[in-house]
Amino acid sequence: MMSATASHGRAVMLPSPSGALQHQQPSIGSDMFRLRRKEPRGLRLIVAATAKYKGTKMREEKLSEMIVEKVKEATEVCEADVRSEECKVAWDEVEEVSQARADLRIKLKLLNQDPLESFCQENPETDECRIYED
Amino acid sequence: MAVSTIYSTQALNSTHFLTSSPSSSTSKQVFFYRRHQSQTNRRFNTIITCAAQQTVVIGLAADSGCGKSTFMRRLTSVFGGAAEPPKGGNPDSNTLISDMTTVICLDDYHSLDRTGRKEKGVTALDPRANDFDLMYEQVKALKSGIAVEKPIYNHVTGLLDAPELIQPPKILVIEGLHPMFDERVRELLDFSIYLDISNEVKFAWKIQRDMAERGHSLESIKASIEARKPDFDAFIDPQKQYADAVIEVLPTQLIPDDNEGKVLRVRLIMKEGVKYFSPVYLFDEGSTISWIPCGRKLTCSYPGIKFNYEPDTYFNHEVSVLEMDGQFDRLDELIYVESHLSNLSSKFYGEVTQQMLKHADFPGSNNGTGLFQTIVGLKIRDLYEQLIANKATAPAEAAKA
Repeated sequence: MMSATASHGRAVMLPSPSGALQHQQPSIGSDMFRLRRKEPRGLRLIVAATAKYKGTKMREEKLSEMIVEKVKEATEVCEADVRSEECKVAWDEVEEVSQARADLRIKLKLLNQDPLESFCQENPETDECRIYED
Repeated sequence: MAVSTIYSTQALNSTHFLTSSPSSSTSKQVFFYRRHQSQTNRRFNTIITCAAQQTVVIGLAADSGCGKSTFMRRLTSVFGGAAEPPKGGNPDSNTLISDMTTVICLDDYHSLDRTGRKEKGVTALDPRANDFDLMYEQVKALKSGIAVEKPIYNHVTGLLDAPELIQPPKILVIEGLHPMFDERVRELLDFSIYLDISNEVKFAWKIQRDMAERGHSLESIKASIEARKPDFDAFIDPQKQYADAVIEVLPTQLIPDDNEGKVLRVRLIMKEGVKYFSPVYLFDEGSTISWIPCGRKLTCSYPGIKFNYEPDTYFNHEVSVLEMDGQFDRLDELIYVESHLSNLSSKFYGEVTQQMLKHADFPGSNNGTGLFQTIVGLKIRDLYEQLIANKATAPAEAAKA
């Protein structure tokens, strides 16, 4: 049983973006926002938090699959009548799972650790808390 | 809301007993009495019971799920400490807890789970999918200092999970689609905020959010927004008339024909006459000002920054509107702007800038969304401190009688 303390991150070495690229960074409501600062030339070390526990990986995959499924479903249901209740509810479900998927991504990024971290400290023996190996 | 209860009783050499207040196990009781052997004219002794904490309730309405992490994190960061999910509980809990604040997601009050909503043909936006009675009871209880067992709506499974215990915090934030929908809940709110995203910006944000997903395309994103719009307009949008502060996010006017939605125009609409809330202003309260900080003292890169401040009416209320269009490029722009704003409720010069820098990697850190969220955070802190100070003096005065 591994007691996990450090965040499970992947170190990525990236060449520093050129001046032109820097100005193209999206600046609204997105994950990759930065208050622009002069980046030093050379290599930049980025540690991105990724899923460490099997449970988180499973949730990520499940939500992504549900998005595919529910978009398909909604498209079909709405073909009949785009104003029907069924159509509204179907797209609402798509919105719900899309937001849940995004929230998980944001949690991973902002917490910089697996959201299951504290749960898995208390329950390391559960299936969800198995360390995810790529 | 009763904060302190004052009991008067006969002199303690009588056989009168006081039972402790049933309201809260966390309440502390302070007894003041005198022992008199002899007859005395003093007829009553005063016992003051104070709740261990007085909960301030804030409502936040928006349509972007309960991961409004950035707003919440900015807010909790103003009070110090990071907000985290409850440790060791349901990993899919939507609740966030920090030292001073607890953030509850109102989706937890869904009366219908995903299957139930499908059967009844209602979206999550529809009030019929939500249990307002329970929401009211529990928010009321927490406000009175009583812990509650709150349901958990699991967004992954779409089911209602077993409840989690929520202790009454100093500051309770209820966020979600319907914080101001029910009148009884509205009355419990000490302050309310509505995040009003315009359609164009909503579309741009959802594209950013969803384009990386396999299932989505531009069409599906668009269709989802359109299909939800009728319910959104009918049930969610009308709440903004009740909000003490509305943060409106619109596309910029600085770039002609801009459709990228990257530069934003953000308006902070602040209701006048709200207790403990003094609106932020530029230069002179109640006047109309248009201000471009960029010029000789400050060089900004394209498209620059433009501020506007003016009094207005919003749904028949007097309001003050502070508007920022454009974005910050550098630290000195931020501090320059901060030094010209008044009534920020900051505790020291540069506090707003410091808070913004602390979360420089959050979305909105270089534009009005981050700036106004931070300022609202300071306003809430100010409101909280005033409320607490006010409640502390009231019973002391009563005890003098």
